[in-house]
Amino acid sequence: MSNRGVRNLFIFGSLFFFVIFIGLTVDTMKKLDKRAPEITEEVDQGKKLWHKYDCIGCHTILGNGSYFAPDLTKITVNKPEGYLEKFLVNPRKVKPSAAMPVLGISPEEAKKIIAFLKWISKVDTNGWPPKPVLATYRMPRSPGVTVFQKYGCTACHMINGVGGTSGPDLTHVASRKPDRQWHIKHIRDPQSVVPDSAMPGFPQMSEQELNQLVDYLLTLK
Amino acid sequence: MKYKSQKIAEYFYTFAVLLFLVQVVVGIIAALQFIWPDFFPLKFNIIRDLHINALVVWLLMGLMGATYFVVPEEAQSELWSLPLAYFQFWATVVTVTLVVLGYIWMGFNPHANKFVFGTLLLNEGREYIEAPRWADILIVVSVLLFLLNNFMTMYKSKRWTGIQGTLLGGLTFLALMYLPGMFYTKSMVKDQFWWWWVVHLWVEGAWEVIAGALLAFMLLKVTNAPRHVLERWMYIEVALVLFTGILGTGHHYYWIGTPKYWLWIGGIFSSLEPVPLLVMVWDAFRTTRVHRVVTNRLGLFYAVAHAVFNFVGAGLWGVIHTVPMANKWTHGTQITTAHGHLAFYGAYVLLVISMIYITLPLIRERTDFRTSRGYTSFWVMTISMIFIVLSLTGAGMVQTYMERLVGLDYVTVKANYNLVFWIVRAISGVGFLVGVLIFVVDYFKLGHEPAEVGAKSNVSVTTHAA
Ligand code: HEM
Ligand code: HEM
Ligand SMILES: [Fe+2]
Repeated sequence: MSNRGVRNLFIFGSLFFFVIFIGLTVDTMKKLDKRAPEITEEVDQGKKLWHKYDCIGCHTILGNGSYFAPDLTKITVNKPEGYLEKFLVNPRKVKPSAAMPVLGISPEEAKKIIAFLKWISKVDTNGWPPKPVLATYRMPRSPGVTVFQKYGCTACHMINGVGGTSGPDLTHVASRKPDRQWHIKHIRDPQSVVPDSAMPGFPQMSEQELNQLVDYLLTLK
Repeated sequence: MKYKSQKIAEYFYTFAVLLFLVQVVVGIIAALQFIWPDFFPLKFNIIRDLHINALVVWLLMGLMGATYFVVPEEAQSELWSLPLAYFQFWATVVTVTLVVLGYIWMGFNPHANKFVFGTLLLNEGREYIEAPRWADILIVVSVLLFLLNNFMTMYKSKRWTGIQGTLLGGLTFLALMYLPGMFYTKSMVKDQFWWWWVVHLWVEGAWEVIAGALLAFMLLKVTNAPRHVLERWMYIEVALVLFTGILGTGHHYYWIGTPKYWLWIGGIFSSLEPVPLLVMVWDAFRTTRVHRVVTNRLGLFYAVAHAVFNFVGAGLWGVIHTVPMANKWTHGTQITTAHGHLAFYGAYVLLVISMIYITLPLIRERTDFRTSRGYTSFWVMTISMIFIVLSLTGAGMVQTYMERLVGLDYVTVKANYNLVFWIVRAISGVGFLVGVLIFVVDYFKLGHEPAEVGAKSNVSVTTHAA
């Protein structure tokens, strides 16, 4: 082929692929709104705050951004809202080891950001992030462990190296807090024993579940 | 230097080289913040914004400088308007400086980043395109003036060559692809959809087209290879870049809320993206082997290294995580960072440096210059970069395994299991800085000191047949 021939192949071939790409873009744009919940005023304000505080400078969202801090796509599914609200305002007050700085986010702003993050968590992402397939570590089976998992305590607390880091590690909690009554009060209403705790209370837990859970916690010495 | 106006290239190069230094210094600060988050007064996000913006801006400045050299050379005439080029240069320097000051101000006072007329004043909070809207507009004006100047030069001289046509075509595509990042969307999904038009269609579209054109130009300048052969391969390369790269954008549309068909489209087309990069490697080696008259061995060395590391960093380190089955697990991990570093280094850092080593001696009118520092800085930078990339790849593998497969907490993996990789990365970063410093010294001294003589001469004419 002459140089002119390859040049034309380059120009028209590229235009051809670009036209297909635009066609797919139009189709995608039509489908996007059905794959995500409606965007309320509050969600939009939350998104604007997300940009204002340059959250993407440390975090990823939908897997894109910076890799300095956790992905926030499913954060509202994994962490209780009350905790997140307090965390955004002053991270180290609720989690002393947090690397996140105080950005000056007000409590009202925190609510809006959380509304935005809740919206994100409901976007249909074709199954991303995937469930960990090798989560092999089994906790000892007991009714208390079942309750611990049922109420999602692992999202924030770690036991024997498994679980979140938002709350304190509970591997040896019974050595620190051996008092049964303290635990019962704390789980029902954390602020009643730890005034500015960021942990949510669990008033919805049945009496039996609560007892089983505390039995289990007291074994963690 | 054949045309006086080509001198403007040196202004752009100097600014580029200084920003490169800034980029790497803040990169080391960012790397240390992985180990001690609080050790520096500016927080990680601001440091990272500076790191990646300095990168993009210095590469663009380098490419603009290169273009201001190439276009008069190819058109065989002075630039259409030298004063306009000077104006464009200084206007860009002022804009960039204001944006940087804005980031730093915001670093000390996040509330200074206010909404004014519906857009953020200091930082848009979108990765790579953090620059606020007013700066976007100034940048677009600057790029339009730049394109105008070069197109007019070409138009007036009536000498259209394939190289400059492709170069300006790539630059026009680059300018157009800045626009999809300049409007607000309420949906984060759409936000990221358009954002990838800018980011992906830049580095895997427009910039690779520019790289193809500049590779042909460099081989033309330093060897005695005939133009029509170089231009033919250039067209093949840039055609394959766009045939695979445009639909390859789909590899960013797997998990952001976009329809499932992108898994197929993105997976197939992006897997083919390494092909043109491999053709470029082959092109560079073939030309070097067949045409033994080399007027600038150091320049040719860098050009070939650029082709090789473009293929390794963008092609190989890209393709390992580009199919949906792999990307599902690695998406947004340190694997991405490893790839980002080697791809930008191989494809564009080495491209701009090789253009500097090929055109700067001509600008300073010293073709036989002292080259030893140029080789040393190459090896120091490249070996350090390889260590950075290996440590990040290690961190990414551990992170993918521990966090994505086993389900451990992100923070736990980062703070415990990956700590050793952060340390290796930071140390290698200092090594990289040493390489950059050697390069910067060489940049300022090039041509102002006597060349080595004899076997080390930069000009070589080997007569035996290939
Ligand atoms: C010179 C060309 C290239 C450069 C400079 C480059 C650079 C980058 C950068 C910086 C990112 C991260 C973006 C972010 O911060 O979110 C990225 C992501 C990615 N790149 Fe490239 N890239 C290039 C070519 C390629 C090629 C040829 C392929 C495929 C064969 C590829 C595959 C990918 C994939 C799959 C991702 C997404 C990673 C994830 O899911 O987290 N890249 N690239
Ligand atoms: C001294 C050398 C360097 C060090 C220590 C360094 C360090 C860093 C750090 C800590 C980050 C943030 C990563 C994260 O969010 O997890 C980063 C991001 C980035 N750096 Fe560098 N860097 C260096 C040199 C370079 C060079 C030479 C390039 C270009 C070739 C580059 C391109 C990038 C890019 C594109 C990103 C953002 C995307 C990504 O994380 O993949 N860096 N760098
Ligand atoms: Fe891409």
